[in-house]
Amino acid sequence: MSLLEFEDVHQSYGDEEVLRGISFGMDRSDVEVVIGPSGSGKSTMLRCVNRLTDIDSGTIYLDGEPVTTPETDVNDLRRRVGMVFQDFNLFAHRTALGNVTLGLREVLDYSKEEARAEATSQLERVGLADQADSYPAELSGGQKQRVGIARALAMDPELMLFDEPTSALDPELIGEVLRVMRDLAEEGMTMLCVTHEMGFARSAASTISFLDEGRVVERGPPEQLFEAPEHERTGEFLERLTSLHGGQQG
Amino acid sequence: MSAALAPDVVLSAVVGGVDTGVVLQASDWEFVYRNRRFLLLGAGVTVALTLTSVVLGLLAGLPAGIVEVYGTGPVAGAVRRTGVLLRGTPILVILAFTFFVNPVNLGAFEAATLGLGLRSAAYQSQIFRGAIQSVGGGQMEAARSVGMSQYEAIRHVVVPQALRRSIPGFQNEFTIVLKDTSVAFFIGLAELITRGFNLFTQPGQSESVLEVILAVSAVYFVLTVLTNQGLELLGRRFAIPGTGGER
Repeated sequence: MSLLEFEDVHQSYGDEEVLRGISFGMDRSDVEVVIGPSGSGKSTMLRCVNRLTDIDSGTIYLDGEPVTTPETDVNDLRRRVGMVFQDFNLFAHRTALGNVTLGLREVLDYSKEEARAEATSQLERVGLADQADSYPAELSGGQKQRVGIARALAMDPELMLFDEPTSALDPELIGEVLRVMRDLAEEGMTMLCVTHEMGFARSAASTISFLDEGRVVERGPPEQLFEAPEHERTGEFLERLTSLHGGQQG
Repeated sequence: MSAALAPDVVLSAVVGGVDTGVVLQASDWEFVYRNRRFLLLGAGVTVALTLTSVVLGLLAGLPAGIVEVYGTGPVAGAVRRTGVLLRGTPILVILAFTFFVNPVNLGAFEAATLGLGLRSAAYQSQIFRGAIQSVGGGQMEAARSVGMSQYEAIRHVVVPQALRRSIPGFQNEFTIVLKDTSVAFFIGLAELITRGFNLFTQPGQSESVLEVILAVSAVYFVLTVLTNQGLELLGRRFAIPGTGGER
């Protein structure tokens, strides 16, 4: 059974229909990369999974259970689904460690010591144990994003959502974030990533979806989309992206 | 109101008009000095009233600000309308309601606290509303995304940051309340202004009005400066490292 499944998902902002019938499924440990032009609905698609945005019709299933019903415990759903944001959204008033402990303390009811120990090991996992006491404003963009990843990982999620995690970074800082994402993928984390990093997509993705105007135009393993896309539009888009964002191997 | 308080009299005294007879005189400074304890007791009442009013304003204004940002439905509507009403009513009218026409019989100090506190709450709610909105939706989304409830997110993520951003506005509000405690004169509370008035309206003391007013003003000024410095320090103490606020 799929870990995550979209079934004919529609979503609109006012009159504008952003998602026009999205259906696909991901298995555990899959790494799905979603690409597509600006405004194609990529971010909305991610935000629907943890209900930051509510859908109009269709169903999203996590581990076989519908999570888009009114009965769904939204807080529990969000605990099970980690999210990494384009502009980090680190808690500005808390240290790197404090960013990671907050969810552990408030949501998982860890004791102070337990939370500290767990958060420290998550910071180690992203290579930032030495920055535990730094505040977000004292970190580089790449470090901030790695704290963001550690914060999400600490909740022991079944699925991680990445919403353009490297788009706000200086080019020389992208690699350190991609490296962490690649490690995660190798550890078997299930990941749904909106990213334009083609090096990462080519080597780490199990599947790439090309989204345009709220529909999945084409979906398949990276080799297929890069070497022999079925749609001309997919090929053109990938070519453009690769020339812009192909360099970083992470 | 005494004729000695008429603005033109005070003004001409300040610009040095001699025809009014109101000029600075050593004997009048001595009169102020002799009554320093009497005035300082009034200053004590002023400080106490400022604190109780600001605290009441904070306790009611912070939740009101939160409700104005996140609240929906009739409760949020009622909070917003109450704020508009309080901000749109002269403070003397508010005091008239809390003191003269209040079905619960309050002492002057309690009635002044209630009136000044409620009005301050109405203003503070707007300071907090602005601060909360400036924190930005991304912080809320991040907190909700790890599974925190809206309440937990507000309490642990939004409010701690909003309070820091409220300090400059709160500094203003604090000093405004401090000086506006003088309106308790209207309900006869023996605070600083009332006591000053009582001094220069004593028989034969009408010529000391300028000295008394200057002395009273100096006390307000010193209190204001101290308050501002204290809050400035608080702001620096809680500034978030790396954001430039800690100096």
